[in-house]
Amino acid sequence: MSQATKGRLNYRCPQCFQRDIDMDLFYDADKKEYYCLRCCFRGDEEKILRMNEQIKDKYGLIMARIDSFGEDAGDLEYHTYKKGEL
Amino acid sequence: MDKFIVNIIHRPELSPEYAEKVTGRGKKENVGADDLHDESLDIFVFQQETAHANGLKTTIQITYASLFNDIIVEMAKHDHEVYGDEIALSLLGLPCKQFKEKYKTKDFCIWMFSEEDKMAIIDDCFSLFYEKFGFYPQSTGSYYLDAFSINYIKEKYPSVTCAVATCWEEGPKAYHTCNNSWYTFMDGGPWAPWIPSKHNTHCPAMSKEDDSGIVAIPHLSRDLIACFDGNGSNFGTHPQNVLRGLVYKDNELPYFFNLVDQYRHLGKYNNGLAYNMVFVGPGWLNKAGRWEAPYELLKKSYEDGMAYYGKLKKEGKCDDMTMSEFADYYRSVKSYDEPEVALWKDILYGSQKQYFWYCDPYMRACLDFNQGGAMIDLRPYVAQLDWKCGIGTDHVYDASYPYLIQANYRAGYFTHYAGAGTVKSLKVSCGSEEIDLALVRCKASWSKEGEDTVITTTPVEIKFSDFTMELQSKFIFKRGTGEVVIERNILNDIGDHEVMFDEYFTGAFGTTEYQSDMTKLKLICESETECETVDFNYKCRTVDVKDATSVRVVIPDVETIVEMTGDNDFGEFEEGHAFSPSYRISLKKKLNKGGMRTCLKLQKAD
Repeated sequence: MSQATKGRLNYRCPQCFQRDIDMDLFYDADKKEYYCLRCCFRGDEEKILRMNEQIKDKYGLIMARIDSFGEDAGDLEYHTYKKGEL
Repeated sequence: MDKFIVNIIHRPELSPEYAEKVTGRGKKENVGADDLHDESLDIFVFQQETAHANGLKTTIQITYASLFNDIIVEMAKHDHEVYGDEIALSLLGLPCKQFKEKYKTKDFCIWMFSEEDKMAIIDDCFSLFYEKFGFYPQSTGSYYLDAFSINYIKEKYPSVTCAVATCWEEGPKAYHTCNNSWYTFMDGGPWAPWIPSKHNTHCPAMSKEDDSGIVAIPHLSRDLIACFDGNGSNFGTHPQNVLRGLVYKDNELPYFFNLVDQYRHLGKYNNGLAYNMVFVGPGWLNKAGRWEAPYELLKKSYEDGMAYYGKLKKEGKCDDMTMSEFADYYRSVKSYDEPEVALWKDILYGSQKQYFWYCDPYMRACLDFNQGGAMIDLRPYVAQLDWKCGIGTDHVYDASYPYLIQANYRAGYFTHYAGAGTVKSLKVSCGSEEIDLALVRCKASWSKEGEDTVITTTPVEIKFSDFTMELQSKFIFKRGTGEVVIERNILNDIGDHEVMFDEYFTGAFGTTEYQSDMTKLKLICESETECETVDFNYKCRTVDVKDATSVRVVIPDVETIVEMTGDNDFGEFEEGHAFSPSYRISLKKKLNKGGMRTCLKLQKAD
């Protein structure tokens, strides 16, 4: 078995990211999978990308564009961001 | 005055600290590699062109390596003449072949060197800069600049008026995020520009005599909820940091624009002045991509960021300044004891959480209205700690300003099984029932009473088994005193019921999650006729004194006295124990209408 390398992009471990740790994944060419040195994650690119999208669920306002901060004790006013809008 | 100012800063590193280490790519470390130089130069050119294309001027922070590169020196001179960019000197970006050969070290953080080396490196950088440009810079900076370095720079190079001097809340969280390998411990500082004390960079200066002579700006403008609760490096005015946090979808990151807008909104609380700082090092625009983000997305995010500031400028809603221009302006509108405040809303998670941040020469404090206005962070700036850092000191890498309360490092209201976390709140009890205000969610409004800053919560309901009490809290930050007056007012008729208010402060001290020895602490509770004291020894002792005039704790390790005074039937202190290394001071009062008014005061312990 040969040594691991980095992949095409420098993917981080999605399991570690979920606990606020940026941990680079390494690629095992023999098994055609990425794996983590710090936890037990292993998986292909598709799995990483899928988990990364799941991580984003915690950002409830990820695509919100705020129109007004409202009164101090009031709610934010916002709309869904349109691509290209500044 | 309504003014939103942005400082856009670029540094040509040539040997970017992030790019030089290529772990796992099968290459040896080589900071002098030609391809790295060329790429870094390209990135700097891209950043400059993008800012200029949007009508924005920049501050070019020349790095040590750049001083050996004639192309960059000429580019900086050109951009200064054509676009009005400021040519400044960075004490970041020290790593390069010349530096490593001369100083025989891999250290690159100026505040971590010995005092002797700090002076030598500063003199080296400033002399080389003068040699290349024919003048000394007005601006400088690093991720952190300790008081020793600032004082030395100001004494030797008085032209310096502005410096990047800290990264907000970059401490244990950044260390953990980087798999316990990133030693930038510098949290506890201001989030917005300030005039640093000569004694400790984190502390705003008290007076002209205490003024270090520079205006400090934070490295990035960071999300005041997300960076406190989570990784400080993902949520700031740094587009690639936002990508690092995976805060984007379909290659769009509107969160960045919302973050800028919330900072603009803070002008409401600060006499109209709002501020942003953008400082993206070249490693973040790496051609090979940065983590999951390919170069195209890195580039687009930077272009989007600059385009937004450019748009605001065109609409007359943003002033682009260089660092030294900003320093002059800041000094023209700010006084020493004017607090910086921020009533910050969650713009990321959709939680409706709201924090209030307060910063003046006496303290930095944070109230959490998701916890009824509990104080979840407190730093005693009044102590102006002479916290030397760097090799040869007691704090080689730890430059953080100590907390008394940090509810995430040292628990807050919630603890597992036993013990107490650091927090200041109110417990209300009646018979066998007890409710902590930290479990009652509310919102808050800001106002001014004369020179004082007032935060008033929305009324909340405290439900007991046979009656409900409506309660409202008011926090009055007394300008220039180190005092916070706290009012708890009953708003409804609770009949014949009598409740006990326990206004308490559970504290500790430190810069990390772990508590050091507490045996130097002294707990004191006194009245007109009685004085009880305990030298802290983990024995869990509790003492109360009727009609207390003062309950306080003296913490020699951080040269601070925390004192509570005000309405009470009795004052109380509680010594911690080994499983719960903290102290608790409180004032307790029985009432059935009206309210309770107490004062929390921070003083320097001699």
